[in-house]
Amino acid sequence: MKKALSALLIVLLAMTSVFANGGAESTSSDGTTTLTWAVWDYATTPYYDALINAYEAKNPNVQVEVIDLGSADYQTALQIQLSGGGSEFDVVAVKDIPGYNNLVKAGLLADLTPLAEADGLDTSVYGGIVEQVSVDGKFYELPFRSDFWVVFYNKDLFDAAGVPYPDNDMTFEEYDALARQMTSGSGSSKVYGAHYHTWRSAIQLFGILDGKHKITDGGDYSYLKPYYEMALAQQADGIVQDYATLKTSNIHYSGVFYNESVAMENMGSWFIATLIAQTAAGANDAENWGIVKYPHAEGIEPGTTLGTITALAIPASTKQQAAAWDFVKFVCGEEGAEVLAGTGNFPALTNDAINDIIASTPGFPQDEQSKEALNVAQLYLEMPLHDKSAEIEVVLNEFHDQIMTGNIGVDEGLAEMGARVDEVLAN
Amino acid sequence: MLKKKENNNAPAFTSSGLPIDRSLKVEKTQAAKRAEINRNLVAYSFIAPNFIGFAVFTLVPIVFAFALAFLNWNGNTEMTWAGLENFKYIFTNEMFLASLKNTFIYTIGTVPLTLVVSLFLSIILNQKIKGRNFFRTVSFFPYVGSLVAITAVWNMLFNPSMGPINEILMRLGVENPPRWIADNDWAMFTIILFSVWKYMGYYMVIYLAGLQGINSELYEAASIDGVNTWQKFWYVTLPQLKNTTFFILIMLTIQCFKVYDIVYMLAGAGSGALSEATTVLVYEIYNSAFRYWRLGVASAEALVLFAIVLVVTIVQFRLEKD
Repeated sequence: MKKALSALLIVLLAMTSVFANGGAESTSSDGTTTLTWAVWDYATTPYYDALINAYEAKNPNVQVEVIDLGSADYQTALQIQLSGGGSEFDVVAVKDIPGYNNLVKAGLLADLTPLAEADGLDTSVYGGIVEQVSVDGKFYELPFRSDFWVVFYNKDLFDAAGVPYPDNDMTFEEYDALARQMTSGSGSSKVYGAHYHTWRSAIQLFGILDGKHKITDGGDYSYLKPYYEMALAQQADGIVQDYATLKTSNIHYSGVFYNESVAMENMGSWFIATLIAQTAAGANDAENWGIVKYPHAEGIEPGTTLGTITALAIPASTKQQAAAWDFVKFVCGEEGAEVLAGTGNFPALTNDAINDIIASTPGFPQDEQSKEALNVAQLYLEMPLHDKSAEIEVVLNEFHDQIMTGNIGVDEGLAEMGARVDEVLAN
Repeated sequence: MLKKKENNNAPAFTSSGLPIDRSLKVEKTQAAKRAEINRNLVAYSFIAPNFIGFAVFTLVPIVFAFALAFLNWNGNTEMTWAGLENFKYIFTNEMFLASLKNTFIYTIGTVPLTLVVSLFLSIILNQKIKGRNFFRTVSFFPYVGSLVAITAVWNMLFNPSMGPINEILMRLGVENPPRWIADNDWAMFTIILFSVWKYMGYYMVIYLAGLQGINSELYEAASIDGVNTWQKFWYVTLPQLKNTTFFILIMLTIQCFKVYDIVYMLAGAGSGALSEATTVLVYEIYNSAFRYWRLGVASAEALVLFAIVLVVTIVQFRLEKD
């Protein structure tokens, strides 16, 4: 029996060593290099192929293969694959900041700083994003997409109500008044003046736009109070849909805009490409739409908004770092940016020429305001990089939910949220 | 060969005085041993596919999790010794304690209710009533329906502002109907209600099997003794179903302690965050492991879950024996 057990153990060990030889160089005999890229939602995201085709056209001896890890648990799946150094990935897309922070902490990503320095790469073209994702002066990802929040509005509804469109310089008071003015009807013909999706960013982060606070700081969150009070009052007055209803019905933010039940909706710029595609496909009834800059507090420059980035990183385990870095530079650089803009998406590297490409995408609203709304004055990340960002995020989500469902008062909720974040920070 | 020689040098005798050919016996025992080994190897080879799978995917991870509970590890960098730090951390962590409390409330609420409801259903559907098979299928349906789909339907039914349940309650004159899953005080109750509804069909089938295994002579004898229906249930049916009830009790209790999907789908929809009022043990384990990558803490939490299930099961076995 003992012998049988030890034999079994040997077999098991042998099997694990068989499975543990990932990360091989994949240059074939004809000199073609194959890079493997981890992404999510490959089938529904048009720009992956566009980027790969452009890169392969320029580098005929490189092939880029894509592995789709799915959207819902992308960061978890990615981290599991990379752990232990046995993955086959040469380049990975990084979905969010907490996920990036986890990967960096676990030592799974290659430091890109020396590579960038060796090539004399100018990181200032990313408008401070690289600095925001640096850990002790080193960065491990380079952004290729950068989305920012704007206000989408339905022009037909404004026309029908005889109310002038929102504009690119709108304070929160003006925004609130406009939302109230645009609310009408009841039952199936009800039009809500505004709409907040159930993400905490949609309301909570109004509070960080003055640049005085960081959402990861903990302590006193009373600076969020005016915004929660505005949203709760709008909810009570029927200006926006009830949070609990949206949450329990799992209503997607696009549906309410498509079926013309909301006049304004604050959402990220990723919605632009979706709207263009859905309008062309006939799935969007709100065909006549526009965008304006995010509302701002008194004294803050219009165009100050929230942002979220999608980045590329190179796993520490890859044997093809040089080839991977070349691909990363392409995608995150000017050429990649033009390809991305051509698909109606927002590259992290941005300038007037790139904005012109987006604004001239067929289906993009033709008014000057919408084009002007693409100019961002100041971008704050939805979740700044922090050692404990994943844990803080869970607390912020929980209390956003508790406050918006009315389970806890605003003052009490924000105080408790501060205490809980402090607890996370102290650990 | 060597043995054969030795044996030849030292002949032995049977009781009748005849010499024994030891070499023959040794050969026979060796052959028998070989046959036994062969037989065992064949048997092991049949077990192997299952056992290797079990060892790789269950046994090793379980043993590993025990060790991990006393270590700090993020899945990639070096492990460091933590001692009892992980346990100290979780027992001072507000959310973990809340999840512990909620899991107990959920189990205590769900198990007896499911037992009663499924027993009641099985007794009714064991009678010769019209449309029996139809009703049996209907009661079993929640168990086979996709969880994602049925939680979506429940969330619509119990929607606080436009759900039909509250609509009906308001028509009936209830001024402030509960906000169900959106209300901290009602959320766990709603989850328990859902669970009972989902599980009842499955356990009804098990009870039905138990009911059909009861010897009808017992009922006949009871009838001759002139007992009424209630007494029949109390003195014949219930004692005869003791083993079935015990089986269901154990299975259901373990199932309830492991709850995650139901709570996440009902209460976590939208934000994906469970509040202090709804969080459960397995959700906290998931968060620690795959959101914060604190695998040591997650393993410590899993050990607590393991200990609870172990203790509850042992207690139930003891009670069963008594």
